Amino acid sequence: MISLNVKKGYRLKITGEPPKELVELPKPSHVALLPEKIPFIKPRLKVRVGDHVETGSEIFEDKRNTRLKFLSPGSGQITEINFGPRRVIKEVVIKLDNKESYVPFEHINKDGLQNIDRNDLVKMLSKGGLWPLLRALPYQDIAPTDKVPPQIIVSLGSSEPFQVSPEIYLDGNTDLFAFGISVLEKLSNNNVIIAANAEDKSRLPDQSGRITHIIKGDYPADNPGVILYKTKTSAAQNNSWFINTQDVLLIAGLLKEGAYPTGRIVAVGGELAPHPGYVKTRIGAPVSHITQNENNKIKSRCVAGGIMTGYSIDKKSFLGFYETSVLILPEGGKRELFGFIQPGFNKQSYSRTFLSSINRSHLNMNCNMNGEERACVACGSCAEVCPVDIIPSLTFKCTLADEIEESLSHGLLDCVECGLCTYVCPSKIEICTILQNAKRSYYKEMSG
Amino acid sequence: MTNLLNRFFDSQRKYFEPGAKLERLNALFEAFETVFLATGETTSSGPHVRDSLDVKRFMVLVIVSLMPAFFFGLYNTGYQSNIVSGLSPDFMSAMTRGLRIVMPLVIVSYTVGFFWELLFAAIRRHNISEGFFVTALLFPMTLPPTIPLWQAAIGISFGVIFGKEVFGGTGRNFLNPALTGRAFLFFAYPVKMTGDAVWTAVASSKETAVDAITAATPLSLASATERFSSIQDTLSGSGYSFMKLFVGNYPGSIGGTSALFSLIGAVFLLILGIISYRILIGGIIGVLATGILLNIVATEASTPWFSLNPSYHLVMGGIAFALAFMATEPVSAPDMNKSKWFYGFAIGALTVLIRVFNPAFPEGAMLAVLFMNLFAPLLDHIEVKIRLGKRIPNV
Repeated sequence: MISLNVKKGYRLKITGEPPKELVELPKPSHVALLPEKIPFIKPRLKVRVGDHVETGSEIFEDKRNTRLKFLSPGSGQITEINFGPRRVIKEVVIKLDNKESYVPFEHINKDGLQNIDRNDLVKMLSKGGLWPLLRALPYQDIAPTDKVPPQIIVSLGSSEPFQVSPEIYLDGNTDLFAFGISVLEKLSNNNVIIAANAEDKSRLPDQSGRITHIIKGDYPADNPGVILYKTKTSAAQNNSWFINTQDVLLIAGLLKEGAYPTGRIVAVGGELAPHPGYVKTRIGAPVSHITQNENNKIKSRCVAGGIMTGYSIDKKSFLGFYETSVLILPEGGKRELFGFIQPGFNKQSYSRTFLSSINRSHLNMNCNMNGEERACVACGSCAEVCPVDIIPSLTFKCTLADEIEESLSHGLLDCVECGLCTYVCPSKIEICTILQNAKRSYYKEMSG
Repeated sequence: MTNLLNRFFDSQRKYFEPGAKLERLNALFEAFETVFLATGETTSSGPHVRDSLDVKRFMVLVIVSLMPAFFFGLYNTGYQSNIVSGLSPDFMSAMTRGLRIVMPLVIVSYTVGFFWELLFAAIRRHNISEGFFVTALLFPMTLPPTIPLWQAAIGISFGVIFGKEVFGGTGRNFLNPALTGRAFLFFAYPVKMTGDAVWTAVASSKETAVDAITAATPLSLASATERFSSIQDTLSGSGYSFMKLFVGNYPGSIGGTSALFSLIGAVFLLILGIISYRILIGGIIGVLATGILLNIVATEASTPWFSLNPSYHLVMGGIAFALAFMATEPVSAPDMNKSKWFYGFAIGALTVLIRVFNPAFPEGAMLAVLFMNLFAPLLDHIEVKIRLGKRIPNV
């Protein structure tokens, strides 16, 4: 086991941490797929409103690579296909039948896995609709089906606030997890990094033989991109793949059972979450179902994914394919009298400019910007927190000046899009979004 | 109270919105409004929560840190003036006298500076950055108390326009705006900026002695020290003990004489993490190291400056103030950590070298800071290059 020490980063002390209790939710009435929330793909619909689908029927495919298929996470009838601006497909909603029927897929056992050809395994995964769970760094696009990755990174970490602890979903699933890891080993010619947080490690079920890296550090130390940055020895490894740990279980389930797996464990957290905790539900379940119908009088914001990296989502919408947490945060927006000169015993800050730096308790936070946008004053906080040693204050400036070569040499593509630079910025500059957009447009240009 | 203010600003906002009559003055409205009420804007993309620190608090804390030096400056200016004018040197009358000398300068600095800031904000449609309020306080603190108000107005205008706004405003300036303004006055009106006479404001009322003799500053005493005698002896002969120099109770620029109160401000900013300890400590090391080096090479034939105890360099003149508040200004300082060490060190070393080798400029701190401001981008460039060379490329 290799120990990785990530010194930079930041741990948000924020209230609303979900208790580690798992509740099993009843079956939702609807589930949905959200093609809009899967980055880079160009979806081509294979169904129409009114069609009847089984669990595992094809809903849409990616025009860029038709081997990438996205399957129905439930059996029932397509009731709605919602489009957004410019005809982007937002949601494909399926009303669930009482009885579940599955499309059969090939399945293999442990011995079969040893002897199977790698190409056949890729075929099984892409037919089974779970290939998109494997994603390739640095752009975090779906992994190419025709390439062998230098390595696959599996991070058991959950250092971003309010994520599902690995011991919850690994509980009772250690065999399945081991099977999933063997699949990844096959795909990557035995180059799999399995990393766990040092503090989680003692609570994990006995996986010690499997874990290759132990990570010490604050958010986002256990992000696959950070693990890659800290372990890579050559530029060839930049295209490593990664997969969420919960998704390893899905892949293992598909290959073992021959049926499209639909289970998901989702963390529900945030100060205003009515029932914080972990819930066992389905892929694509409605947000209101997961949060168990909160009826807040306070204006709240619903976030899918993490507090740093997630996106805000309508409460009537559904949880996306990749996301495993729902947060409900106070929207804020109240104006404070002489806000800039308050002692701030309860104001969260990375800096030491508030009395909160001697307050050890977890603090309430809302979505207020806490200041107006100003020019960068070179305070240097962003470089202090950047886990991959980019100097965001310089990199975002060369990005805005269209000096793409220079920002690439600064390590733009190493950016793991953790959002810490934007979080700490006193000038309230959307540094992370600027870098993210630069990465994406560079990728589109390179691949198109 | 909050509701009342909210209603007031909401009712006035329509005059400043795009398309309205006073649209150009939106920056003024925004600046005024956000002093009273913090923004209610919420995040539109991730991260969904944001740090509580903003530039407004950042700059206000710098102003707070300047307060000890500023109030001591008020007292000291009044005290020196009253002594020379033969008036009572007790605390209250010194303070009132100091207020009467300094406040006009501060008011001129703020109003004239704010006019330019607002003009550029209106034309370029950017917001008024709080950095200006620090500049406009720093600037009069570096001036001699006898400076005519019109010169102060010209100085702050030059500092704001050419030190900052022509390059795009706060955050894009490569020179320290307050020192740019001072340097302009220094070279444009040397009569009012140098010499022994300018550092004490003599009251011009009839009762006071007409033949008042203003005291010399420690730096000019040191420069005037004759060969084969020691500067320390000259200073203590004139009543300048090390402690007195450290506290700053001697004629000089309004806020820049006191090493003690500059240090208090700097420690406050260091605790809050606003300024870089690298620049500050680098600067102190630079002064001391250069001083020691000169001690070592000193011969009997060299000027008395060579054999001066290096710690005296830190308490005389404006170097303490410059290191605490000017060199550490983050925008014109380098961004990279090792560069900051070098930058601070070079400012300290250059200040001593200018004092020792250049009889034309008794004080070198201002020129040292401005000179190193020019080198900050180069230092950054070199360090970034070295650092990027160590990265495993990812393109």
